[in-house]
Amino acid sequence: MNIKIPKNLKKVRTVNLTSEDLITFEKKIQKVYENGDINAPVHLSSGNENELISIFQYVAKKDWVFSSWRNHYHALLHGIDENYLFNEIVEGKSMSTNSTNPNFYSSSIVGGIIPIAIGVAQAIKLKKQNNKVWCFIGDMTYETGIFHEAYKYSKNFKLPIQFVVEDNGLSTNTPTNEAWGIKSKNISEDIIYYKYERGFPHHGTGNWVLF
Amino acid sequence: MNYLDSLIKSMEWLSDKDDTLFIGQSVKYSGNSIFNTLKTIKDKKKIEMPVFEDLQMGLSIGLALEGYVPITCYPRFDFLILACNQLINHLDKIRYMSNNKMKPRVIIRTSIGSKHPLNGGVQHTQDYTEIFKKICTEIDVIMLNEPQEILPAFKHAYQRKDSKSSLIIEHGDYYNEK
Repeated sequence: MNIKIPKNLKKVRTVNLTSEDLITFEKKIQKVYENGDINAPVHLSSGNENELISIFQYVAKKDWVFSSWRNHYHALLHGIDENYLFNEIVEGKSMSTNSTNPNFYSSSIVGGIIPIAIGVAQAIKLKKQNNKVWCFIGDMTYETGIFHEAYKYSKNFKLPIQFVVEDNGLSTNTPTNEAWGIKSKNISEDIIYYKYERGFPHHGTGNWVLF
Repeated sequence: MNYLDSLIKSMEWLSDKDDTLFIGQSVKYSGNSIFNTLKTIKDKKKIEMPVFEDLQMGLSIGLALEGYVPITCYPRFDFLILACNQLINHLDKIRYMSNNKMKPRVIIRTSIGSKHPLNGGVQHTQDYTEIFKKICTEIDVIMLNEPQEILPAFKHAYQRKDSKSSLIIEHGDYYNEK
C-alpha cells in the first residue's frame, strides 16, 4: 500500500469494516444492477479498500466527508447505514449519495464538491469548531483549475480541510497524464495521495445489462 | 425612500442578524455599485473574496450548510454566469440530491449593469433574468423593479420557512433613476 499520511493527523476512529465487507457490498450492488433493477448509472469502487480503511482511521464521525460519483466505500466507511445506502443506490442515487448524519456530500460533477467543501471548512473555522473537512478527489479533478484555486485559498487561510487524491490514472477512460501531457507529479506533502487500479469500469459492471 | 436607500436599509436589516455574512469581491473595498449599499455594514460581517466566481458560490453553499446565511454578491449579471456550475448543478439541486435534508439558504445579489451615463457594453450590461427563471427549479429568482419591493424581498429571502435560496436581481440604472 503506497500511502503517506501527513504527520499532523491523528487516528481518531477504529474502522470495523473490513475490505471483504466493502467488496461484498459492491458485489451486492453489481448483482442488482445486472438484474436490470437499477435504472441509473452505478459507479462501483474496487481496488482501494485497504487505502481507504487506513485513511478513515483519521476521519472523525463529526467530520464532513466530500466524495465524488464513486462514493460507496467512502459513505460506508464514514458510517452511513448500509441499508440506507443500498436503497439510495437502487433508487438511482449512486452518483449523489448525501447524508446529514454523518455529514456527507457527493456530487457527480467533476470538482463540484471542492468549493462547497471549502465553504464548510470556512464555517468550521469561523465557529471555532474542532471538526474538519475531508475532500476525496480523483487524479483528473486534482489537475483542474478549481482544485488549484481552492487548495491555494484553503492553505493561505489555514482552513480545516484535508484533501485526498485517489489516482487510478483515468477520467472515465481518458488517461489523465496523457491528456494533460504530465510526465511526473509533484504532490504537496499536506495532501494524501495514493495510486490504485480500479476493478470496475467507470460506470456499470463491465457486463451487458438488458433494462 | 429611493432605490439605493432601500438597498442600504435592506443590507442593514440583514446585517443585524447573527447568522448573516456578506461575501464577494468589493464588499469591503470600493469598486462597484453594490459596494455603495454595504458601506454602513461592519467589516466583521464581510469576507472579501478573490475573483473566483464559481468557488465563491460553492463556498456560499458550504457556509449555508453549516448554518450561515451568506449574502453572496456578484456585481454584474455577466459575472454570475461564471458561477453557474455551483448555482445550477449544486445549489439548485441539493434538496433533491439529499432527500430534502440539506437546505442551504443562500441569498444571491446581482445587478444588471447600468447603461447611463456610461454604457458598460455587451459583457457588462446583460439581463439574464428570464433565462434564470427558466433554468432554476428551486432557487427563487426575483427582479427588484421598484424601491418599495426591496426590503420585503430581502426579508422574505431571509425569513422564508422553506429556507429556499433566492437570486435577487437589481438594476444598475435604477440606483440613479428611482
